[in-house]
Amino acid sequence: MTEKETLLSIEDLRLYFRTTQGIVQAVDSVDLKLGVNEAMVILGESGCGKTSLSRAVLRLLPNNVDTYSGSIYLEGENTMEMADEAFRRQIRWFKMSLVPQAAMNALNPVLKVGDQVAEPLIVHHRAEKEDARNQAAWMFEKVGVPVDFLDRYAFELSGGMRQRVALAMALITLPPLVFLDEPTSALDVLTQANIFNVLKEIKQELAVSFILITHDIATSSELADRVAVMYAGQIVEVNTARSFFTDPLHPYAKLLMASVPKLKVEQEPTFITGQPPSLINPPSGCRFADRCPSAFDRCSEEPPVFLVDGQQVRCWLYRAKGVRA
Amino acid sequence: MNDAALDEVKAAPTKKPAAALSAVNRILRYSLVRIVMLFITVVIVIYLCVLVANMGGYVDEIRRGSIREEVSVAIFADQSPDIKGLTSAQKKELIEGRVALEVKRLGLDKPFIIRSFIFLKDAMTLNLGFAEQMVSDSGSKSVKLILLERLPPTLVLWGAANLLLFFLTLFIGLYLSRRYGSLLDRITLALAPTSSAPGWFYGLFLILIFAAVLKVLPFGGMVDAPPPESKLMYALSLGKHLILPVSAVIIANVFLGAYNQRTFFLIYSQEDYVEMAKAKGLTDREIERKYVLRPTLPTIITQFALTIITLWTGAPILETIFNWPGLGRALYRAIGLYDTPVIVGSQVIYAYLLAFTVFLLDFIYALVDPRVRVGAGGRKA
Repeated sequence: MTEKETLLSIEDLRLYFRTTQGIVQAVDSVDLKLGVNEAMVILGESGCGKTSLSRAVLRLLPNNVDTYSGSIYLEGENTMEMADEAFRRQIRWFKMSLVPQAAMNALNPVLKVGDQVAEPLIVHHRAEKEDARNQAAWMFEKVGVPVDFLDRYAFELSGGMRQRVALAMALITLPPLVFLDEPTSALDVLTQANIFNVLKEIKQELAVSFILITHDIATSSELADRVAVMYAGQIVEVNTARSFFTDPLHPYAKLLMASVPKLKVEQEPTFITGQPPSLINPPSGCRFADRCPSAFDRCSEEPPVFLVDGQQVRCWLYRAKGVRA
Repeated sequence: MNDAALDEVKAAPTKKPAAALSAVNRILRYSLVRIVMLFITVVIVIYLCVLVANMGGYVDEIRRGSIREEVSVAIFADQSPDIKGLTSAQKKELIEGRVALEVKRLGLDKPFIIRSFIFLKDAMTLNLGFAEQMVSDSGSKSVKLILLERLPPTLVLWGAANLLLFFLTLFIGLYLSRRYGSLLDRITLALAPTSSAPGWFYGLFLILIFAAVLKVLPFGGMVDAPPPESKLMYALSLGKHLILPVSAVIIANVFLGAYNQRTFFLIYSQEDYVEMAKAKGLTDREIERKYVLRPTLPTIITQFALTIITLWTGAPILETIFNWPGLGRALYRAIGLYDTPVIVGSQVIYAYLLAFTVFLLDFIYALVDPRVRVGAGGRKA
């Protein structure tokens, strides 16, 4: 973190939704920093607020938003203070882009994929149609899609090809930051591996930063420089990939890693009992306490973030070893 | 079918002659099957219409009865000496003879089932024949002339009202779908039940307010009497007479229509690709045009085509209230007079228009939606 320049800095980001049952605290006071040309994986189980976090940063909000506050500094500029139109012109697909969860539905069924990939260049760089298409062809080559697919429609492509097209679309304007929202969860293992290889190459060649949102620990380890773990709308641990995959800090992260099956190890994968708490009126104190094997009386208080060897962890167990952030 | 279709998809970019030829073959075969199917549908529809318009043959009874009555009255009222001198038995014989002659002249001596097929044949060949009671303003009994004479007023009124309504509801619906849950959206929703009352109901109030009380607009009719000489003045006068009936139609339908369209667009606005378009930084206008309207174009075109052809039927009560000389009123009168040739004639043309539109729509779908290919089964993807 120290040697890399900061690209994105999220401070106290909150995103609450109104529902008929009450207020859902999908993203609750999240702090996160990301360096230039860095890949961060955000791990967590379903419903922990991973996707909401990316939506909050990208400002893709549904109608029932209750609270949307905090600061998001992107290349030093607070995007939360921008008006919608300025955000559209200066940030959307210019500084940040998105590879969505289901590329199947992310492509317009009645427009040629080539035109959809080239579109952001025409919108943001006022490129001529011809130049934009040439750029799209170049990007197709980069992500491994045959160039003559430019004139095809989404329904004429396989799932893997669509995902690559979505990737080409996200990279076409060469934004410094790309969100990957479970980009391979609908694909077979071979295609997953292919796409992760493409991602690694692109990260080296084009110097982009990735935020990869996933629950797939095994494949994410391919790409990750750093790992953030989300639990019940909060970030509970931020660690380097190297130390996270061998020795995670937070009890939840430990259990998460223990649940991954490993080759050549006798140890059976374990599972975490219970369910994440409801994000409507979440428990006070540590949100993981109910499921935590090492819970003790202090856990009824809200744990602060402790710094342990420069890594952040939100757990009372580290009150002695770490320093309060 | 599916494998063949897939092969063609692969072949399409290279445009092999063989693929092109098989595409032509496929389209021709499909068109032929489709035309036969639609023709059968039209035959059934028109035959049903013939049966209904004739009340399953009962109209013949009514007409035989009225012929007998007319002939009897004519004979008994006849004051000429050679008829007045006849005995009542002779008169009766004379009546029977004349009735038989008249019945034969009108073809009523044949059983209805045979006559119904003659009706059907004439209708299918657009040989609409002559009205029994109704007369066109120019004095002709030709059904074709009666209908053609009434067509322009109906086209003007319903063309103006329906086109305005169609585009109004389309754009209001699109606007509301992008801002659903807003105050305007909730107001439209709340007002949607007002459409349960028909246009003529609101027409009554409009006439009362603007014609009777405020005296700013005419009560009804199509132009001032006498009709203005110059074309410009005629058009202005026509426009003035259009305001109330068109407003009545729009008031009666706009809220429910906008609500329908809004819900329709709302479903399509929640597609992932619409959100992607927003993330890509497209303007709202571009999102609406390329990511909402464009994918829903087939449905919108269908609605539009059906709107256009329903113009043919007019609306009897609204036209009556506004004293508008349109097809709706002609049809209403024809029903009252048991004038079956006029009723059947009007329906035949509607059936043909509908069949033709449905046939055409298949090809339009294939043009506007790459997923649809003529004769290649249903949608893919």
